[in-house]
Amino acid sequence: MNLRIEALAEVSYVIPEGRLDFDAAPGFQEAVERVLGGAGKAPAAVIIDGAALEYVSSAGLRAFLLIARAAQRAGTSFALCALQPAVRDVFELSGFSSIIAVHADRATALAQAHQGRA
Amino acid sequence: MTLAVAPAPVRRGVASVSAKVHALSELLLVSRGPYARAFESLILGLIIFSVASIGVESIPGLPEWATQALRVAEIIVVAVFSFEYLLRIIVAPSKLAFIFSYSGLIDLLAIAPFYLTGFDARWLRALRLLRLLRVLKLQTHMLETVVEERTRELREKNAALEKAQAQLKAELEVARALQLAILPSAFPARPGCEAAARMIPATTMGGDFYDYIELPDGQIGLVIADVSGHGVPAAFFMAVARTNLRELAVRHTDPGECLAQTNDALCAQNPLELFVTVFYCILDPKTGVLRYANGGHNQPYVRRAAGPIDSLDGAGGLVLGAMTGVKYPTHTAQLLRGDRLVLYTDGVTEAFNPTEELYGAERLVDEVHVHGGGTPTALVERICQSVTNFAGLEPQSDDITLTVLTWGAP
Repeated sequence: MNLRIEALAEVSYVIPEGRLDFDAAPGFQEAVERVLGGAGKAPAAVIIDGAALEYVSSAGLRAFLLIARAAQRAGTSFALCALQPAVRDVFELSGFSSIIAVHADRATALAQAHQGRA
Repeated sequence: MTLAVAPAPVRRGVASVSAKVHALSELLLVSRGPYARAFESLILGLIIFSVASIGVESIPGLPEWATQALRVAEIIVVAVFSFEYLLRIIVAPSKLAFIFSYSGLIDLLAIAPFYLTGFDARWLRALRLLRLLRVLKLQTHMLETVVEERTRELREKNAALEKAQAQLKAELEVARALQLAILPSAFPARPGCEAAARMIPATTMGGDFYDYIELPDGQIGLVIADVSGHGVPAAFFMAVARTNLRELAVRHTDPGECLAQTNDALCAQNPLELFVTVFYCILDPKTGVLRYANGGHNQPYVRRAAGPIDSLDGAGGLVLGAMTGVKYPTHTAQLLRGDRLVLYTDGVTEAFNPTEELYGAERLVDEVHVHGGGTPTALVERICQSVTNFAGLEPQSDDITLTVLTWGAP
């Protein structure tokens, strides 16, 4: 899978593309954790933009779980947005949407992240 | 007495000089250190120079100073070669053997003409070309020796690696056999109940499992579960999850409560931070009442005897092992005579084909609908075959597990 990162002042968007499966999960987790610990200063929010994320396996879910915990430790707000229907189903079915915030789009995710900090 | 005392220092002197010469020979000829390499290069340079000088000397009308310079150079070359020749004799274990050896004779031929005839036998210096050949041959030989040695080392390392790999593979095979052995081989005998199951791991060891648990009041627990990831870590977590669930199922006859207890137990012993999706249901074989709870697992299907397919879609809870204190609601469904319960893991619905398409729930539902009327074994085989055909040459990326139960069959 490919990964793009858009680092803005207050928020970093991570845009994974393709399949987040057993082989891709460790690299994905490492990349996002680098964003969280980037240059010793974590961004206020990290938002995963899932528009190009086609598939998440259970190993991929585990990567999200570990990232969410790392974000909590770093005091960074963490959320997902713009998930494709199949991926959103996986989050709902596994119960992950009850422990990781999933939003419709970037704007909502960003607004919620600000609200969480306010 | 006096005679014996006087020569002693002389002998010691001779001995120490001899030792120094030996040490020098060792340093320049035998060792592979920087001095030996420099000396070898010097000899090689002098050989080439002296062979080239034959050509220069034959140029007609060479000025007198040039001829003189070449003569001086020739004396130096012969002196160095002679010095080297003597060192070689000294360092040789058997002096005579060296003198009459191929290389010993070539070294002698390179200097002897000068001592016998002076500067006149210039053309005989061409014999030094032989020395050049000798050096080159020696280097080729050394190179071959080095290559041979490396090849041998490589062969030995490969053999060791292969042995280690074979051992690891054998151990994994044993572990795989153990893992498959803890999966139940038969459904508990109950009138009208018939079940079949299949687990196909993606790697040597899988993270999926299914289980049938005999409960104290004659009811039967059915489990299907999928640990995140696969391989050895998933297999270990699978064994821990199965053991916990089995123990707690006997004490907690409400499926939701059993999952909640199992989740808390798993969270307390989860160093790798893995998790497991679990669908757990309890069947009353007498009445066909099915109570179930879902911890993040794919919703199973019930194929009604008449054909339609329902999914057991009551709200579930979070996967097990991720967070403590999760609640899992218990739901109830009623099986009718001839209904089939189909439990599966996402290895079935999320099998990819070479064009990256998913097998998907629709294909599974179709198979269950069309072929659900036969025996559980036939349906399990039919679905596995369908997934295998669909995936084609695409390698299996996740464990595939499936179990089918019929209730109240005549």
